[in-house]
Amino acid sequence: MKQPPLEYPYHAMKKNGMSLSVKAVIELMQAVHAKGLPFRFNAGGHSMAPFIRDGDVICVSPLASRAPNLGDVVAFIHPETKLLCVHRVVSVKRDSFFIQGDNMPENPDGMIPRKDILGRVTRVEHAGKMVRLGLGPERPLLALLSYCGLLAVIRRYAGPLYTNFCRSRVPCEKN
Amino acid sequence: MKKIGKDMVFTRSRDVVSREIDGALIIVPLTSGVGDMEDDLFSMNETGTEIWNMLDGQNTLQEVVKSLAQRYRSEPGEIEHDVAGIVAELLKRRMIVEATTT
Repeated sequence: MKQPPLEYPYHAMKKNGMSLSVKAVIELMQAVHAKGLPFRFNAGGHSMAPFIRDGDVICVSPLASRAPNLGDVVAFIHPETKLLCVHRVVSVKRDSFFIQGDNMPENPDGMIPRKDILGRVTRVEHAGKMVRLGLGPERPLLALLSYCGLLAVIRRYAGPLYTNFCRSRVPCEKN
Repeated sequence: MKKIGKDMVFTRSRDVVSREIDGALIIVPLTSGVGDMEDDLFSMNETGTEIWNMLDGQNTLQEVVKSLAQRYRSEPGEIEHDVAGIVAELLKRRMIVEATTT
């Protein structure tokens, strides 16, 4: 019997360490959210510092039936760039949400329809510890400060204060 | 652990999400209650992907081996051994379950 030309390559299953495209991350997030579960991944960039810093690990939970509230940090597909963004809701108008990065008042994302919002950030981890500030009851105040462009100003002068917040972070519990 | 037999049929667990993206199969286990891209993400090579796709609750392991043997040149028993290996690994990680017969 004639043998097929291709030699059999043994299976290989690799854990972690792969670099995925934005499209892949969005697709996986949507698939995980469809099962009603949160999606945990590494966030990049400085637009949400100090609440989310470059390299922090964040959890994005599905919106389910609850629309984003003022001050929520949400993951969404940017309508122009089609990139995955994680920024704050600073104003709500019916089914659209005015979103901007805390450090980017001069360059807001604009009105984002609900359909483009993938989920809300429910957990931020920095170096294995949970960051509490930015996702709690202070959210509406942060939204207001962000909207007025004051958050970026405060950040500029509150570096030492934030260090104290860092010290008060609690170790993450194992899921 | 139960011995893996040639006539056994396996199917992908409901507690995983798998997608073929940019030509690679990505598997995200959900057993911990979160889709964890940081600490719990798997990718498969071409052979792993083919086997994964055939673990659909329909094919016995013998059929999986037969299908691969038609496509690839190999030493006797080589493919069988490899399929048993990946099935054991996937079972251990609870990514597949034995299909229930009706």
